[in-house]
Amino acid sequence: MHAPVSLAKVDVDASHRYGPLIVHDGLKFSVAANEFICICGPSGCGKTTLLDMLAGILVPSTGHVHIDGTPANPKKHSISFVFQEPSTFPWLTVSENVATGLNIKGAPADQVRSKVANIIEIVGLKGFEDYYPHQISGGMKQRVAIARAFATEADLILMDEPFVSLDQPTREHMQREVLDIWRHMKRTVIFVTHNLEEAVYLADRVLILSAKPARIVAQLPIPLQHPRDPLSAEFTEIRSKCVQWLHDAH
Amino acid sequence: MGAGVRIIAWNALSLVTALIVWQLASQAVASPFFPAPMQIVDAFVQLATRGDTTGHSLWEHSWASIERVLVGFGLGVVFAVPLGLLMGLYPKLYAGTRAVIEPFRFIPPIAWIPLAIIFFSGLSRFAFLIFLGAFFPIFTSTLVGVARVEPIHRKVGIVHGASKLWILRHVVIPTVMPDIMAGMRVGLGTAWLTIVAAELAGGISTGLGRMMTNYAELIMVPHVIVGMLLIGLIGFLMNEVLLLVERHLFRWRWQVSL
Repeated sequence: MHAPVSLAKVDVDASHRYGPLIVHDGLKFSVAANEFICICGPSGCGKTTLLDMLAGILVPSTGHVHIDGTPANPKKHSISFVFQEPSTFPWLTVSENVATGLNIKGAPADQVRSKVANIIEIVGLKGFEDYYPHQISGGMKQRVAIARAFATEADLILMDEPFVSLDQPTREHMQREVLDIWRHMKRTVIFVTHNLEEAVYLADRVLILSAKPARIVAQLPIPLQHPRDPLSAEFTEIRSKCVQWLHDAH
Repeated sequence: MGAGVRIIAWNALSLVTALIVWQLASQAVASPFFPAPMQIVDAFVQLATRGDTTGHSLWEHSWASIERVLVGFGLGVVFAVPLGLLMGLYPKLYAGTRAVIEPFRFIPPIAWIPLAIIFFSGLSRFAFLIFLGAFFPIFTSTLVGVARVEPIHRKVGIVHGASKLWILRHVVIPTVMPDIMAGMRVGLGTAWLTIVAAELAGGISTGLGRMMTNYAELIMVPHVIVGMLLIGLIGFLMNEVLLLVERHLFRWRWQVSL
């Protein structure tokens, strides 16, 4: 069902409006297969609209959002999504939640079991398989959601400020974990964040969006090796460049 | 489990207290129309072992009522849940048919008894009346429950490529289930209310309501009270069964937090 290496190449050239409100005006960028990009922009730059278009659940008013040359479609493309808000199902246990994506895709039961066990181990939820979401902390719930997104081994993984609700140490831990999983699995990741340090820490390339109507104001490749040191001179230099761009974007 | 034992002890204590107060009150009033608890027990034993004046046993009466309630209530669930889900998922369907559906909600099932006597007989008459009583509480709470589905949960399904049917089964129904169960418990109460009224209206020879009317005509108060207590007890037990089902279905809510 899935190729061992993701082929999801993303190609966006879209405008979107809600009535008179223009959200995106000729938003144009592409993402290479297996690339990790972070999208930063001022609040209200229409990132949710962009992610919905990338997930194929919203069709742009004009233009296109293509994955591997065809319009994004969640039934056809293998896409996963980590939401900003809590999204675990309260009536399912941790492992049942993690299995959700695989079950939708109709994966055989033994495969589901081994993949779920594997990813639960990676995100550090071993021993909590049979707990219900209300019995674990907010940070653990978010890890369940991340595990659910990665369990399907989707070609394209969309992440919408997934760590915004986590405290600093957990956030740093999860950033390292996501990079780890990404290096293991090599997927295309599009990660939206308001935190530039996080973007520079994670991404191969950072895209900076302007305020509405949003367009790309800058694309900065991050040529640093992982693991990156946020205190190093190169890191701070790139970060201040991003800060400048984001400032100008307002 | 200590808390569970304590709850049982408190309930036993309040039950015994109620019986003592009853006994003392009956002694104070000293009237044949105010029987003491032991007279009720005597009447129960008599009815249970020898049957009533018309030759029907207590079990026949009880079972007749239970059967009617179960059939009518079952029909109520079978129609109310799918219709509630359908109209909850397609609010326009509900908005466009409200004027037809809603007025029926305010016609009490008891008001249907005269028509039911004309159009139906036997089990179908009671099933129809109880269906009317059980339908609306279940329908309304299902309908309201669908609105509680979190958009984010629906979205989790959609982004993973789930079909509408998958979302119905794995997102909508689990969310609405607590409301459906709550509606069922209210509906069960209405069903019991309706059955007794319908049986009092006559036309049949069995049922707890019928038995009570027979004894009321003979002014045998203890026997009437046996019927009343049985109705309370059976309704209580049915409700407990629903609560057990709820507890099992909603383990995820009942489990103690860390």
